[in-house]
Amino acid sequence: MLEGFGPIVRKDLRLELRSGESTVALLSLSTLILVVMVLVFGPGGARRAEVAAGALWLALIFAGTMGSTRALVAERETGCIRALLLSPVEPGTIYAAKLSVAMIFMAEAGAGVLLILVLFFNLEFGRALLSLIPVFLLGILGLAALCTLLATVSGRVRGGAMLLPVLVVPLFIPALIAGSKASAAVLSGQPLGSVITWIKLLCAFDVLFVAAGYLLFEHVILED
Amino acid sequence: MKGAVSIALAAASCLSMIAALFMVFVYAPTEAEQGIVQRIFYFHLPCAWVAFLSFGIVAVAGALYLWLGHRIWDDLSYAAAELGMLFCTLVLVTGSIWAKPIWGTWWTWDSRLTTTFILWLLYGGYLLLRAFGEDNQEIARYAAVLGIIGVLDVPVIIISVRLWRTIHPAVLLTRQGEHGLQDPRMVAALLVSLGAFTLVFVWLLWLRLSTLRLRARIGGLRKELALLEVAGAGARR
Amino acid sequence: MADVLLQAQRVAKFFGDRPVLHALDFSARGGEAAVIVGRNGVGKSTLIRVLCGLARPSAGRLLLFGREPTTLAAPEFRRIGVLLHQTLLYPNLSARENLEFYSRIFGIVDCAAHALRWLERVGLSRAAEQPVTALSRGMEQRLAIARAMLADPDLILLDEPFAALDADGAALVTALIREALARSAAVIFTAHSPLEIMGVDLGLFKLEGGALSPFKEDGRRGPLRSLLRRL
Repeated sequence: MLEGFGPIVRKDLRLELRSGESTVALLSLSTLILVVMVLVFGPGGARRAEVAAGALWLALIFAGTMGSTRALVAERETGCIRALLLSPVEPGTIYAAKLSVAMIFMAEAGAGVLLILVLFFNLEFGRALLSLIPVFLLGILGLAALCTLLATVSGRVRGGAMLLPVLVVPLFIPALIAGSKASAAVLSGQPLGSVITWIKLLCAFDVLFVAAGYLLFEHVILED
Repeated sequence: MKGAVSIALAAASCLSMIAALFMVFVYAPTEAEQGIVQRIFYFHLPCAWVAFLSFGIVAVAGALYLWLGHRIWDDLSYAAAELGMLFCTLVLVTGSIWAKPIWGTWWTWDSRLTTTFILWLLYGGYLLLRAFGEDNQEIARYAAVLGIIGVLDVPVIIISVRLWRTIHPAVLLTRQGEHGLQDPRMVAALLVSLGAFTLVFVWLLWLRLSTLRLRARIGGLRKELALLEVAGAGARR
Repeated sequence: MADVLLQAQRVAKFFGDRPVLHALDFSARGGEAAVIVGRNGVGKSTLIRVLCGLARPSAGRLLLFGREPTTLAAPEFRRIGVLLHQTLLYPNLSARENLEFYSRIFGIVDCAAHALRWLERVGLSRAAEQPVTALSRGMEQRLAIARAMLADPDLILLDEPFAALDADGAALVTALIREALARSAAVIFTAHSPLEIMGVDLGLFKLEGGALSPFKEDGRRGPLRSLLRRL
């Protein structure tokens, strides 16, 4: 069933390794957003954890949606998606592969963002940062699930690049709330156990939209 | 047949709306705490009910379109989206009008209103997709997928917003008297209003759907004409 | 009599309100070859896209291997080889990496060797490690054809395979077509002017005004013969 998953993921990673386009775009956009946040809200103060969490998720959402568009549009421009459609690879598998690649890119950018966050907001390396990682990963899984599905749609519609955030952000709000609240709590020193409700919500969100994306992908990927 | 349905729906809507107006402004007593302004609630809640119902229709019709392929499901989905957006906007507007005199702010971030606002954003995204993708052959399928994703998200949104509200009590403005409708006359007025708004919604949906069906039919006729022209040109050769 | 591999029944294709193809009836059996001739812009590429199952017909039915394309099991797509107007190659991967990727996707065992074999077959061994962006148009076309044929498909659809090819390239493609026919594959391709292939019984069709019809030679053989490319 998941035949072709490995080759597609490896191919996309190899392409990215050669050009580095997506990584550069994601990282630069995220960094800029973080800079703005620090300048506007200030790096210190009592609400440092909250502002840092907010900056993290803000950077994630916008860099993530931009990055997804690039990754999927590139395939479309060379028409290679047609080759995949005419192959034994099932649409669901293509979705799973694209989703995984998107997650890897976002995680990559996320690691960079976390480092910058530590620098800008004077956070400490330690348990708080480690606890942040699972929350972050759950968040980007949900975002990648939505983006992979909807970037395929927005890529085929004119003005699509602007349209993707408009479609994805409202849908992502539950995960945004859960993720940012959990992140803020964890960054201010609370243990992961205290935010278990948010984590459960994130998990439910992820399961729901990865499954929905997998099942619905064939409807958006087929040609006319 | 179509004319008869339209007339019946129009009549039913008008009659029930008149009844509702009577019930709301005459029959139901004035609420003790909030005064006359509270009567807005009798319009506010039915609009919310219609907005959410309509979104459900958008998604279900979209799913049926993906499954069965018949254009009429897509037209129903689009019509429901347009009307849903209208009623959703009305919920937000009436909510605002209600909030100002009672609580002194134009907007309260209470969980129900916030959820409705997010629904409004979902509607907006759907309609923007339709607008941008108008000349795209497959736009019906894309919109259907978006609708399904949206409706799956609604329960999660409701839960997450409710949880979010428990963390931010400082801005909390409890909406008392909302489900605490003490007087049975108030309940009656609410129910009649609900019925009236639902009927109006169905009537408007029917009207809009008829227009979209006509448009589809014209498109079909254009295609037939084009085919005849091509065939004619071929025969002449 | 060989199996009917492809059947189009009264297929029509609309772009918006405009019919590009209409009332198309066409079928191809194993071992048969057909060339569809038409001017630029008449819809040859659309026809290929419809026939390979990529674009859904607006009306009518398309049957591949006797079934609707949506009901085909995923592995059956191995039996279809397509060359489109777009090369379907990844520009930033090398020639070899492209063929290896597609070999893997098509479930071929030992992809590395398979890719190298095909590179040699289309005369690109020396350019194997070059990225596709560095290849000339003719080399890219050869690679694209290799991509189409590497799974030894039973149904081969090629959109203008002879475009951008020199005499060697054309000879190569002709040889590949002959080989495919010899193993009972069906080959359908498009061209913008009529041609014939020596030793191959090539069905000649014309696409005009959205309709497909057998190419009729007019009485005067002289001028028409001179238009024909002989391969």
